[in-house]
Amino acid sequence: MRGIWDRETVALLLLAASLPLVTTWLVTVGTEGILRLGFVLISAGLWHVAFMLVRAQPPSFAGALTALAIAILAPAGLGPIPMLLGISFGVVAGELVFGGWGRNVVNPATVAIAFLGFGFPASPWPILPIQLGWSVIAVVAIGAFFGVISWRVVAGAGIVLAAGWHLMGLTTPIMTAAAVVLVLLVCDPVTSAATSLGRWLYGLLYGALVLLFALGWNGAGSVQIAVSAALLASLAAPLLDEIAIRVWLARRTHLG
Amino acid sequence: MRRTDRDQCRTAASIATCLGLDRADRSLKLASSDIQTRITDQSALFARPEDDFRIDLLVAEGERVAQGAPVLRSRRDPELTLVAPVAGEIASIELGPGRRLGHVLFFHMPDGGRHIHDISASRSGEDAAATRALLLSAGFWPRLRSRPFGRVPAPSEKPSALFVMAMDTRPDAPPPALALDRREEAFGRGLRALARLTDGPVDVCHDDALPKTMLGSIDGVRWRKISSVHPHGLAGLQIATLHPAGIDRPVWDMHAEDVADIGEFLASGQVPETRLVSVSGPALQEHRLMRSQPGADLRALCFDIVKPGPHRLLAGSRLDGVESRWLSTRSRQLTVLRGAATTTRQHWFSRALRSAGRPLPIIPTAALEQAFGGMLPSAALVRAIVSNDAENATRLGALSLVEEDLALADNATAANPRLAIMLRSMLDRIATEKAG
Repeated sequence: MRGIWDRETVALLLLAASLPLVTTWLVTVGTEGILRLGFVLISAGLWHVAFMLVRAQPPSFAGALTALAIAILAPAGLGPIPMLLGISFGVVAGELVFGGWGRNVVNPATVAIAFLGFGFPASPWPILPIQLGWSVIAVVAIGAFFGVISWRVVAGAGIVLAAGWHLMGLTTPIMTAAAVVLVLLVCDPVTSAATSLGRWLYGLLYGALVLLFALGWNGAGSVQIAVSAALLASLAAPLLDEIAIRVWLARRTHLG
Repeated sequence: MRRTDRDQCRTAASIATCLGLDRADRSLKLASSDIQTRITDQSALFARPEDDFRIDLLVAEGERVAQGAPVLRSRRDPELTLVAPVAGEIASIELGPGRRLGHVLFFHMPDGGRHIHDISASRSGEDAAATRALLLSAGFWPRLRSRPFGRVPAPSEKPSALFVMAMDTRPDAPPPALALDRREEAFGRGLRALARLTDGPVDVCHDDALPKTMLGSIDGVRWRKISSVHPHGLAGLQIATLHPAGIDRPVWDMHAEDVADIGEFLASGQVPETRLVSVSGPALQEHRLMRSQPGADLRALCFDIVKPGPHRLLAGSRLDGVESRWLSTRSRQLTVLRGAATTTRQHWFSRALRSAGRPLPIIPTAALEQAFGGMLPSAALVRAIVSNDAENATRLGALSLVEEDLALADNATAANPRLAIMLRSMLDRIATEKAG
């Protein structure tokens, strides 16, 4: 049983956890979705193979997770060339140049989607079917059971979003997008905060950013709001970890 | 696996039993009088080359010694003496360059007698200086471990706290409660004597298995009840949580059975002959608890129950065991694994993929947190160790840890190179910097 929790096991468990979401998405969007997912998988896979051959960097199943997130969340109506550019930028600059999944500082899918969304503002952000939001519950249940998705992050974000839903009238599309982005991008164990308190703060921060953008950012798409919040939250994750560690150390000063 | 065992495995509740996870609990039901004593014919005092243990011999090859008689003395700290684990003849002595100890091999002779040390000066442990000298000269000192760095403490070192582990949560470990059975008085005397060696507290970590009658009130001794789930029973994690060790703040730890041995020694002047040893592992037909001498020949402890085929002997548990021929000073466990260590030939391409990205990334999941019992900020600590960032690792409690504390994390995450090895090299570097 030695070494069951290595990098690939975690990536495969994350993939397994995201199956309810993928199935729901494929059922709602049909053939177009399969084509899109296939295109993203192949383009991201090519970069993984290139880095394997040139840099002896073993490819990871986490590449499929990235492809999945890009296929679901990237703006619609982009041609193959812009898509290829965005995917290449995200996968290479977000993950592979750091040495592959496990060493990256930001989620490659977040980078790719933000690049595509802000680089090609004319193409519309996708509107996620409401079923996707419900399938997230299954994803979180599976992921948290195996410990690959942190329940603390989900709980932190959930508290803020639920409060926003009840008190400030967040709309259903925003809630759906926020939930899907939460499991696909925010809960990535590598780029999220890694201490207990840090994870709570990270979830709360993501929720708060979604709330802030939803209330104050006129004309933004629901997915755009959620992806921007995810990007900023993941940049703040190391800071939140440092805060958590300082708090932990401060509580131990009496121990000497 | 026998047929009945296989049938039991079909119910989910007994899966843990079939995996051998509760063997230690089952053995607790044994009375301590049921446990056999097995003194092996050969036994050894030994050191690894990296221990750099330079010695002066007090005996010669072929000489007969009584059990507990002084055999060799450290050159660096002449007060520190090691004693014969059994009565018998010195069969061979192997010294490395610079008079470093390789091994001193003993042949057991049952009628060899027991050496009696002069214990009058220590007055049953009430005179701290005399007790310290006595523990040094009767071979008890190496049973102590000092953190940071996990070494045998210097003879003059004064610990800021002392942890006594009256629990052992490692898989198949011999239950300390059984080892302490009917030794309350000796344990109490040992604790009182140890409490005088330190100005700080003596923390006794125990779980439910330790009978209430043991928990007497002794000056300077704090009883800490700890969860009995691994890795909570590791001294390192408890020290990091309750009393972190630092460069100028050494913390010692000792097994409860050794404390009872000290108590017995301070009353009788004789070094106790045996300790409780568990013999287990997948290459054995049964799990066995026995009493054997320190430095026992591991092959002799298991030869009659080992399954056919190649196997490896580890001194220690299957998580933190080290391949060895002899039972080491602090270990109380023999684990027998299947299969010799073989190297399979790999294609150059897959070898390149495996080795180019070392150290492999470790994904911070709940499994990693559990491997540290949720007591330390695991992901940050592992990151600091892997990136050889001594400053941050120190801040996060690495100075309280030794290799065995990271064994579970190693096993869970397949860290390559092992976290334990990376921690050891970091600790060695910190120690060199501190000394220089």
